[in-house]
Amino acid sequence: MAETNTQELTFTSSDGKNMKVPRDVAERSLLIKNMLEDLGEATEAIPIPNVTENVLTKVLEWCTHHRNDPPTTGDEDDSRRKTTDIEEWDQKFMQVDQEMLFEIILAANYLDIKPLLDIGCKTVANMIKGKSPEEIRKTFNIQNDFTPEEEDQIRRENEWAEE
Amino acid sequence: MARDTDVIEASIPFRLYPSHLTASSLSAPFKVDEGYSDDTRSQAEKELLHTPSEDVMPIPDWVSTHSEAERAEIAYSLLRTLRTSTVAAVVERLSPLLHMDPVLKLPPEITSEIFSYLDSQTLLTASLASHAWRSRIFDSRLWKKLYIGEGWRVDIDAIHAFERDHSGFSSPQSRKSRSRYETDLGEPKQKKRVPPGWLDSRAAGSDGNGSNAPIFEQHAVPKADREGDFRMCDAAVREGTASSHTQNAGSRQGAPRDISPSKSIQRAPSQSTKSSLFIRMPNGSVKIDWPHLYRQRRRLEDNWVKGRYTNFQLPHPAHMEEAHGECVYAIQFIGKWLVSGSRDRTVRVWDLETKRLWHRPLLGHTKSVLCLQFDPSPSEDIIISGSSDKAVIVWRFSTGEKIHEITPAHDDSVLNLRFDHRYLVTCSKDKLIKIWNRRHLSATDEAYPIVHQGSGVTYPSYIVDTREIPFPHLEDKIAKNHIRTLLPYSLLMTLEGHTAAVNAIQMNDDEIVSASGDRLIKIWNIRSGACIKTVVGHSKGIACVQFDNQRIISGSNDDTVRIFDHISGAEVACLKGHENLVRTVQAGFGDPPGSKETLRLEALAVDREFLNAQRSGEAVDLGPAALRRAGHQQNTAGSRNPRDIKALGAHIPPGGGGSKWGRIVSGSYDESIIIWKKDGEGKWVVGHQLRQADAAANASYVAQMSAPSRPGSARGNAFAQQAALAGHSLPTPAQPPASASTNITQPSQPGNPAISPQQIADQAPSLHPQVQGAPSRPDPPNGPPLMNLIAAHYHNQLRPTPTSRVFKIQFDARKIICASQDPRIVGWDFVCDDQELNEACQFFTGL
Repeated sequence: MAETNTQELTFTSSDGKNMKVPRDVAERSLLIKNMLEDLGEATEAIPIPNVTENVLTKVLEWCTHHRNDPPTTGDEDDSRRKTTDIEEWDQKFMQVDQEMLFEIILAANYLDIKPLLDIGCKTVANMIKGKSPEEIRKTFNIQNDFTPEEEDQIRRENEWAEE
Repeated sequence: MARDTDVIEASIPFRLYPSHLTASSLSAPFKVDEGYSDDTRSQAEKELLHTPSEDVMPIPDWVSTHSEAERAEIAYSLLRTLRTSTVAAVVERLSPLLHMDPVLKLPPEITSEIFSYLDSQTLLTASLASHAWRSRIFDSRLWKKLYIGEGWRVDIDAIHAFERDHSGFSSPQSRKSRSRYETDLGEPKQKKRVPPGWLDSRAAGSDGNGSNAPIFEQHAVPKADREGDFRMCDAAVREGTASSHTQNAGSRQGAPRDISPSKSIQRAPSQSTKSSLFIRMPNGSVKIDWPHLYRQRRRLEDNWVKGRYTNFQLPHPAHMEEAHGECVYAIQFIGKWLVSGSRDRTVRVWDLETKRLWHRPLLGHTKSVLCLQFDPSPSEDIIISGSSDKAVIVWRFSTGEKIHEITPAHDDSVLNLRFDHRYLVTCSKDKLIKIWNRRHLSATDEAYPIVHQGSGVTYPSYIVDTREIPFPHLEDKIAKNHIRTLLPYSLLMTLEGHTAAVNAIQMNDDEIVSASGDRLIKIWNIRSGACIKTVVGHSKGIACVQFDNQRIISGSNDDTVRIFDHISGAEVACLKGHENLVRTVQAGFGDPPGSKETLRLEALAVDREFLNAQRSGEAVDLGPAALRRAGHQQNTAGSRNPRDIKALGAHIPPGGGGSKWGRIVSGSYDESIIIWKKDGEGKWVVGHQLRQADAAANASYVAQMSAPSRPGSARGNAFAQQAALAGHSLPTPAQPPASASTNITQPSQPGNPAISPQQIADQAPSLHPQVQGAPSRPDPPNGPPLMNLIAAHYHNQLRPTPTSRVFKIQFDARKIICASQDPRIVGWDFVCDDQELNEACQFFTGL
């Protein structure tokens, strides 16, 4: 473990809870990292206005596990698009209720933690894969607002894509 | 809704401190939720749709005063008092509340990210979930990514131009023609000389190596622009579906498009057809509808796979007098322009929209025109042709005038040539390759030869080794005119190494690849002339070659097409299907962006599997002969089975990689064209085998069927008619034999008896190309009895003489065009007369 960097920051969640975070864990968030670079030292608590304590806790758990990952270099890696494979720890990590899942995605987006956002999006993508429209509706509690006629017509329009 | 889910979450102990963040402390208590619960299946649809607040009993005030954790305890205790079946019912009722719609919960940029992991089929299925899903899924950026990811290409400049031209005005038509008129007025006068449509091709023009299908764009908006030079009214009319209308009329019915203004105005009403090509934004700007483009491209690719096409020919069947007098050895097309070179010694420029000759045949060569390349962009505006008269001629494309001539360029027939903006490279039957400069070249210029001390390359005495002279000294010598600036088309170097005729060359950046009758492919550095490597593979002479950064594709007298890894030279595929020499080949692998690394990894995986198989004692390394004895027919068309692997260490996987839409088209002396496609496992297989003669018959047949009302207008060209007849292709027999016999004795001997490419190249044309003098008479609706004709003409031959050997093919996104022994140039158009598709095709480029 990187005990050399022991500096701790304090985050304040949207519901007003304070939590202490090691700096290297916090810097998995590019938002925080850039902010720290601009500010230099952060002596006061950093408000995270869009994320509640329970979600922030979860996100920081991910950041802690991945604190030693090589830094992401942006989105030049197009081959990642080809796969929705998720490594085992992350898969377990993402086994949460849907509300939490979507909150994590939103938080990762806000905090600019690209790998976590990717995992979240892949998780949702995997929930869509291989399902019929009806199964997708049930998966996400979606109200079918198509009339049978509309549905028929769309199915016909989609026929070109069938092998 | 949020309230109620809180109740569920309340059962989770949330007494966590950031200082001990561990996976177990957090995730263990959570209910494992894969997002899909079978419980909800039985749920009545209606109940799912209800919002909880409507049917939930009001909660007593004292309950709400408690904390969430306490409320959870209360709820739990309460539930414990119920019978199991009641608990189950409550759970079932709560269950949908655990499921929520990401499209409602997440902003579009994130759902777009989610959808980007899904394929088109999954997305279309998901688009049936709800209106909200459908509108999120039909997102232009998403489908643009999908389109690009398939390895399909687009002419992005044409799209931007289209969006620009259609944007911004409530009444785009009227406003546009006005704005165009204004721009046109501002243009220098001499630009009017530029033939319409050629700005379309600018992007493709500099593509000297031809390794990818040049851009074909028929009715891109800029064309309307230029027609606006003359007829404002027409500028607005000729766009979108209107133009596809006229296009179809031209190609199918064969009626030449009348370009008089009055006619154009008459076409105006069809313009009102709404185009689905673009979406108009609230601010009036226009964006290309990528889902639509994706769909149309997919339909186009389907036509290729299923072999749905229409045929066309050059010249237009109603203008056979414009045809070449003899067989056509070379063609190239870019945009609406096609240039052909023939045994009749002429070079001809065709307008693919009207199927008519653009200007008079270019006369200058004294023997067969064997090869050519052209670039119609205004900055180049040239055609360069090579001939069996040993000369190379540079022509001005727009006017047809001869600009320059290299006589002789070689000691024998010039078999192939390629140029880019710096160099012209020629190869010849004299076994040599020569490199020439295109522009004035000083010893200090970037493109000046780097003298290479080694065998195989010789430089003329006026080329100096710039590295031997200190720079100030060099400048001094140049200043004093001791080292002269080279005039355009000076010989820079001669490459020697092949031991037989060099049949084909290609260039790509600083590399030249050459293919020879000596069965070798060589790669040379264009700057120094050094031979970088030699690729061995074919068992007979090689007739054609094409390469990109990753692979070399060649066709040979051994009847095969082979693919080699550019880096290692390893053979990664051998395609067997033709029954005679493969004279021409073009490949489009459809590499999606960033695919190079993917290819390398795939290749490594194949190698690893081979080595594993070897280690585990499988019969993989016995060599082809031993494998055959062991009963295994080695499949070398791209199989990844370890037993089919011929060479290790390639940087591309068997078959050469690329997308599943990858396509190779080869033309052969067996008179057929094969469209190779990939099967489910990535092996190359024969998708379709097309016959030149069938296409010729279809093209003229369609014309006859649809243009019957103009007797006398379809004047017959003796060659073409005869070729059509000899091509045993006209669908119906029973014609006046008299006219047919006249045809036979017409000027030349078309469909020359079987000859090797070299022989062909050697032969001087037996007559002059002017065929316009052919007697004008009503065209017989169909040919004479076929057998008689063949018997009369070839009565002393043992077997039917080939009449439609394929010499050159080129394909782009929508069509294949083929030059052959037949003086007519024929084509297969996979748009297949579909208007929507035709309209979308203006943006499609090859693979």
